[in-house]
Amino acid sequence: MKKKLKIGSFLIYIPLLILVIIYIFPIFALLNTSFKTTAEIKYGPMKLPIKPTLVAYSAAIKRLLTPLLNSAKMSLLATAISSFIGSITGYIFSKFKFKGSNLLFLLIIIGFYIAPQSILIPLVLFMGKIGLYNSTASLVLTHTAYGVPITTMLFKNYYDSVPDELIDSAVVDGCDIPRIYQSIFLPLSLPGFAVVGIFQFTNIWNEFLFGLTLTQGIHSQPITVAVSNLKGTTVAAWNQICAGAVISTLPVVIIYIVLMDLIVKGLLMGSVKG
Amino acid sequence: MILNRKNKFYIFIFLLPACVLVGLFVYVFLSWSIKVSFTDWNTIGKMGKWCGLDNYKQIFFNDPVFIRAIKQTLILTVLFILITLPLGILTAVLLDFKVRAKRLFRTLYLIPLSFSFVASAIMWSWMYMPNQGVINSVLRTLSLDKLAQPWLTSTDQALFAIVLVYVWQFSGFATLVYYSGISSVPIEILDAARVDGVTVFQKYQRIVLPLQKPATITVLLLLLMYSLRVFDFVWLLTDGGPAYSTEVLANYMYRVTFNYNRFGIGAAISTFMFLLSVLIIIIPVIASYIKKYKGGKK
Repeated sequence: MKKKLKIGSFLIYIPLLILVIIYIFPIFALLNTSFKTTAEIKYGPMKLPIKPTLVAYSAAIKRLLTPLLNSAKMSLLATAISSFIGSITGYIFSKFKFKGSNLLFLLIIIGFYIAPQSILIPLVLFMGKIGLYNSTASLVLTHTAYGVPITTMLFKNYYDSVPDELIDSAVVDGCDIPRIYQSIFLPLSLPGFAVVGIFQFTNIWNEFLFGLTLTQGIHSQPITVAVSNLKGTTVAAWNQICAGAVISTLPVVIIYIVLMDLIVKGLLMGSVKG
Repeated sequence: MILNRKNKFYIFIFLLPACVLVGLFVYVFLSWSIKVSFTDWNTIGKMGKWCGLDNYKQIFFNDPVFIRAIKQTLILTVLFILITLPLGILTAVLLDFKVRAKRLFRTLYLIPLSFSFVASAIMWSWMYMPNQGVINSVLRTLSLDKLAQPWLTSTDQALFAIVLVYVWQFSGFATLVYYSGISSVPIEILDAARVDGVTVFQKYQRIVLPLQKPATITVLLLLLMYSLRVFDFVWLLTDGGPAYSTEVLANYMYRVTFNYNRFGIGAAISTFMFLLSVLIIIIPVIASYIKKYKGGKK
């Protein structure tokens, strides 16, 4: 009986490992090519590099440095602003219900479910009108605005678990709304900010469509767009394209691996409650 | 709670930034886009004049590519969901057994989700290349030359190849949501079932999986949302080709608008996409919220 169980429980690992191989194999192929010289590519994508080299990376990073900085600036700013706005908005919707507040909340979070294509044309026209077209600032503004629905939803869910009595007694003591936020909710919010911030940062860093539509040229492009342009040109060989893809997505992969628990929380909060 | 005037004013101030941003970027832009869809602004420089339903008539009755894009968007959505949901459930059930290194598996399964769609697209175009590409090279190395496929260059296979990229990217997410759903089944229920002598198969079939309806709705909504809007894969892998065999709404809208400068038509397509998302995503979301509010009041 015991032996049978052991074999049975060993069998479970087979499908689990096959899945790991399916998920990781393409990434291995990508990395493998990125460590080769251009001449080595023709020996076939599955041959290991004879001597792993970073030439492809140094070539790719030369073209990608400015977009990397643009992406860092864009993602950090838009994450910070949209998280803060989500926090104060979610705080009100969670603790200070008024007539129509449920409807207003719903109207705000619906923004999360609207496909970006549905507002893309006015977005470009608007950025042109206010003179921000083709700037990283236009991306900060856009990502902030489209981040607010989800950050609001996440923070409202987060604050819903704070007991209402805390507010009631604070109000009786004569505290006003900003004071209660500052002295009770903001200190309680640090784990919330971590979850929401990481959720936002990873999404914004990886976003492509807004970057493609709102920017032209390397001085304003985010990294996703710059990397996709590598593929379009015949100048860059596949080892460089692969290296570029690795560079572009590495920050988020590292965040996922190191902060997996926060990522999981964000993914589950952002979806299950929605 | 009774609020004094000062606090009412603070509520207004606290809600103002969100309302202004979402009001402008979502509701004003949506209406603006719908307005453009009723104009003949279909060449650059020309400020559109009102033309009624002309753009809609054009796409629905005179544009076979648009009709194809609708069909292919639906095919992609259905295939994507039909593969991803069962895969997610199955993996989650497997992980629910006594498995060592659960966290490691979970991390590995979620890594594809961390990839930007652009990096995935680049990686998969390298995988799918007919001659020097990874998949066909592996097949040749294994002397399985016959199994080598044209993948993205074939009108029969390209759409399916793109679906597989979607599955690769999102199945870890489905697994995560189902896994958390399965692990939150109350232990009392499982204990009671064990006392009753339920087999492992029955445990999942009769008890655990029927409780996963909320998880299914969650995953379904997200997959629907992404299959409608994700443009990066198609744009970077095939740009709708070969011979329009992978053209989908998100990609076609972009091409018509920004490559052909036909803003009126592009706005009509984007309005159609909006109506589609209202139908399949926004109405269910609103319904679930109304149910929640009503449930909360009781």
